[in-house]
Amino acid sequence: MTAGGFLDWGDPVGFAGAAVLGGLLALDDTAYAQTWLSQPLPAALLTGLLLGDPLTGLALGLPLQIVLAANIPVGQSFTGDAVTSTVGVTAAAVLAEASQTPALLHGSAGLPELGWLLLAVSLLSIAGQYAVGAERRGNTAWMLRGHRTLRDGDLGRIGRLHLRCMQVTFVRGAVTTVAAAYLVYAVWLPLFGHLPARVQAASGLLALLLPGLGLGAVVEQYGLRRSAPWLAIGAAAVVALGTVVRA
Amino acid sequence: MTTPRLDTRDRLRVWLWSLGLQGSWNPQRMQNLGLLATLVAWRSRRPHDLEDDRHFCRRYYEFFNTNPYLANFLVGGLIHLEQQAAAGQTPPPGLIRMFRDSLGRALASLGDQLFWMGLRPAFTLALCLLGLIGWWWAALGLVVCFAAGQLVLRWISLEQGLRLGMDLVDVVSARGWHRAVALVRRSGMILAGALGGLYVLRLQDVAASVDASLLIMGAAFGMVVPLVLRRRLPGEFLMLLAFGLALALTFAIPESGG
Repeated sequence: MTAGGFLDWGDPVGFAGAAVLGGLLALDDTAYAQTWLSQPLPAALLTGLLLGDPLTGLALGLPLQIVLAANIPVGQSFTGDAVTSTVGVTAAAVLAEASQTPALLHGSAGLPELGWLLLAVSLLSIAGQYAVGAERRGNTAWMLRGHRTLRDGDLGRIGRLHLRCMQVTFVRGAVTTVAAAYLVYAVWLPLFGHLPARVQAASGLLALLLPGLGLGAVVEQYGLRRSAPWLAIGAAAVVALGTVVRA
Repeated sequence: MTTPRLDTRDRLRVWLWSLGLQGSWNPQRMQNLGLLATLVAWRSRRPHDLEDDRHFCRRYYEFFNTNPYLANFLVGGLIHLEQQAAAGQTPPPGLIRMFRDSLGRALASLGDQLFWMGLRPAFTLALCLLGLIGWWWAALGLVVCFAAGQLVLRWISLEQGLRLGMDLVDVVSARGWHRAVALVRRSGMILAGALGGLYVLRLQDVAASVDASLLIMGAAFGMVVPLVLRRRLPGEFLMLLAFGLALALTFAIPESGG
């Protein structure tokens, strides 16, 4: 890992690329098209591909995707900002040359550093909620400006205001992505070496435990009693297939 | 009776704007500005009349919310009604508003069931399954397929809405939607089971590096926590919970605890 000291930007082009990707995916998340490329796994993979390390993207994106599976944007007061935090943290890991191995893949137990990075995503996503909230309150102000059209009939103003809201989303996405990436690159990753051994070990276990919690949350959403037979079918099929493949 | 039409260029324009329906989402009136901007993309290509334009904006400036993936049924339907009104077939007072609100609510409910509660969890689980196998390129391919599919759906639904107008109610009340919701949810449940099975198999594989039995107990405990809590905690908080659980496990696993 080569994360440097404070104000060390390492590869500014890499940070800029991540910022643009973060801005575009922030748009995709809610504002435009909603293709689901902004979901944690594709977002992390795209960041990894952009910066030349898709495996680190897979390592970070996979546990995030599972644990965030039950985050449904229906009637939830918590929104979070998983998109820019995922892109930012993945970019920081690649730019700091802190390559990660996907946990549970090919017998790998994962790395303590991976868990530490996942923890950063969760904290940054929670913090990012405030930026998203501020942006949406700003949208209300832009929307209310459109009332003038009710008086003067200037239809063009409606389109301009709407586009301005989307520009703000892009800028918010780019800025929070680069802020997250820089914070992880300059502070969070260098801090890892100074952590107590027990916290490092707990970070190592984190990536292994996240899928369990994520699956529990999904099953709770489906309803355990209603989904039990279907869950059993899926689990039995995979275990049988796994046994055959191993044999 | 006039058959409402939209040439390909105008349809493309409306479709592109409709993709940004939530671009100005706000807590006060949600998608109202997005809907109006989409309809203005059609309206601004017509001859202007100041009074008509003002009334047009007034009609759509109120609270509006629906599911973005199914919204184009409604956008097409509204353009249908607006074209009829412009052609002199004035609809009864309040009809357009009632159509917008009632169909918007119906599509919101249907879209929540089909997309947010059905397709998205199932799709997420499929992505994770592919990722856990190591086929990250297939996971990306799956997202691209979804992206293309929903863009096509929005294009077709715009055309349907434009053609059917008020008759859209028949499309929304078709039983096929509910069958699709049930099918997607069942697929999601099977995928959740498959992912759970693969997760346990993978945990056994890492037995060499950590105490597998304790780890599986930890994982099982983790799976049970959301069921016991019966509260839908956001994933970010689940991660913090998992870190606490991992910290507790380090006391029980000497190799990891150091």
